[in-house]
Amino acid sequence: MSEKLDALIDIVVTGKMKLAKDATQACLDDGIDAKTIIFEGLSKAMAIVGDKYAAKQYFLPQVLLSANTLYQGLNLCLPLLQGDGSASKGTVVIAVVEGDVHDIGKNIVKAMLTGLGLNVVDLGKDVPIKDIIASAQENNASIIAESTLMTPTLAGMKQCEADLKENGLKGKIKTMIGGGATSKEFAEQIGADGWSYDAVEASHLAASILGIQ
Amino acid sequence: MRKEPLDRPPVAVFTQSATIGQMDAVGCAWPEAHSDAKMMAKLGAAQATVFGFEAVRSSFCLTAEAERLGCNVDPGKKDRTPMLKKHPFNFDPMSDVYDEPNLMDPEEFLKGGRPAVIIEATRLMADEYGKEYPVIAGNTGPFTLAGHMVSTENLVFGIMMNPEEVHKWIAAVNPIVKAYSQALSDAGADIIQMSEPSSSTDLLSPDMFTEYSGNYVKDSLACVKDAYSVLHICGDTSAILPLMADTGVTGCSIEEKVDSAEAVKINNGRVALVGNIGVVHPLLQGTPEDCAAAAKRIAAAGFNIVSPGCGLSALIADENLRAVVKAIKG
Ligand code: B12
Repeated sequence: MSEKLDALIDIVVTGKMKLAKDATQACLDDGIDAKTIIFEGLSKAMAIVGDKYAAKQYFLPQVLLSANTLYQGLNLCLPLLQGDGSASKGTVVIAVVEGDVHDIGKNIVKAMLTGLGLNVVDLGKDVPIKDIIASAQENNASIIAESTLMTPTLAGMKQCEADLKENGLKGKIKTMIGGGATSKEFAEQIGADGWSYDAVEASHLAASILGIQ
Repeated sequence: MRKEPLDRPPVAVFTQSATIGQMDAVGCAWPEAHSDAKMMAKLGAAQATVFGFEAVRSSFCLTAEAERLGCNVDPGKKDRTPMLKKHPFNFDPMSDVYDEPNLMDPEEFLKGGRPAVIIEATRLMADEYGKEYPVIAGNTGPFTLAGHMVSTENLVFGIMMNPEEVHKWIAAVNPIVKAYSQALSDAGADIIQMSEPSSSTDLLSPDMFTEYSGNYVKDSLACVKDAYSVLHICGDTSAILPLMADTGVTGCSIEEKVDSAEAVKINNGRVALVGNIGVVHPLLQGTPEDCAAAAKRIAAAGFNIVSPGCGLSALIADENLRAVVKAIKG
């Protein structure tokens, strides 16, 4: 891999926020495209941060610092992706379900899906299920992607499946779920159309749901 | 609380104690009981009057102080505790914008809102039940309260970006925390149980604990006159238990994420240990047998007081709470 990309990964992992923009720009100047920066650089960096957190080398303050460092790079890359005008590949409505404010993971998944060339409508965090469904209808979305990291808010995801069914939308709008509190078993149990462990897998999942690549 | 050798440890709910079963039994329910002193006193005593736990406790949430200081609070429902909706102050490490902590005086703070209701409820409980049971009053710790004012996420992030602004805010809320703790003691509370969930190791690294939480707790809780002090922190506290004891509190209340025997070993007799029956497992999802077994295991491990490890979910079944009492009292 490129030295510049490795440098960017290191900057995100160590949370050197002020250097992130320049390091991302340096990658772009080197001819690395935005999609590669996101898939091979930023997301890898956040996976390393996740491992360090799990190993108790990092605690929340370091995670937040790395996430905000990552956002600096993302903010440069995302507009470049939307530039290819590939909204025709499909629209995804993404949100963190009501009661939950953990949105770092969702933001990374959003970046990956954008990187895939999809049109991503981001409703943010703590979003009521009815708003998610309404937005999906309004935007003619093919996929609803929901995230939650907390156990008490899992109920919202189940609710979403029930509401889609009730409105005759189940199957027409596919659902994919993720976040620490979820699991493959849970996804199957509530009838979601897909689950993934991390953001890279989430982009493969979306691609397979939409039949692209 | 004095860590004296007894035949058996006392059994009491030191954390949020109310459940639907108690609300129905005494005819006082959430959300009204959060802001009515008489109802709070009756419902807060229900752990003893309904189930036979050996304490009574005032206040059921950690939003009263924040609300008094200007936070927007959704009062919740019968089965759902109040939730903070908005933080009144701007504290944004990304754009380097920090509001000044212009808060009301501690004296003014004590005079109104739900803190005044809780003080009054504590007084009523001391009068009515104080002879028979220890009265516990619950309040919110300094780092947690500062987080409520400016958003916990931003405060934690601020530690990495601008520690001085973080200290400015905790230092600003702490005189209020101190005055409130003392006022609860003056109202007749025998024990002040301060909850400081935001300084758990899920949010702060252990090496940040003393600087951002412990030192302030030492200044606000540990010096309360005429009452014992108990510091409650959620999550896996094994790494910070000695630091919690360093604050000078009488007791530490901890969750089941620390193995009970391990906690007793780490503590090595320094403070009274309170806890650590799991609230979800076994209290909410387990059987009465599971609950009794957990209580017995914790007593055998050497906890000084057997209590749930965190605030009760309102949905916990009566049988499970009764089983805990029976397992300890026989
Ligand atoms: C950061 C954090 C916070 C920050 C959140 C900041 C933010 N803007 O997001 C703050 C400080 C605000 C916070 C608050 C709280 N937190 Co918190 N927090 C965390 C922490 C440490 C890290 C989460 C994170 O960002 N990870 C990094 C990202 C990159 O990973 P990720 O989110 O898992 O996302 C990846 C995958 O899951 C997947 N994915 C995610 N979403 C989706 C969606 C789709 C569709 C797909 C396909 C995939 C996918 O892809 C992502 C990238 O690979 C976790 C601990 C943990 N082990 O997760 C606790 C944790 C989630 N928090 C927890 C708790 C309890 C809380 C609080 C209630 C604490 C409190 N006592 O006040 C509050 C909750 C407030 C609320 N109502 O939401 C618990 C949840 C327990 C539970 N099971 O219910 C955890 C697990 C900690 C613990 N061990 O107890 N927290």
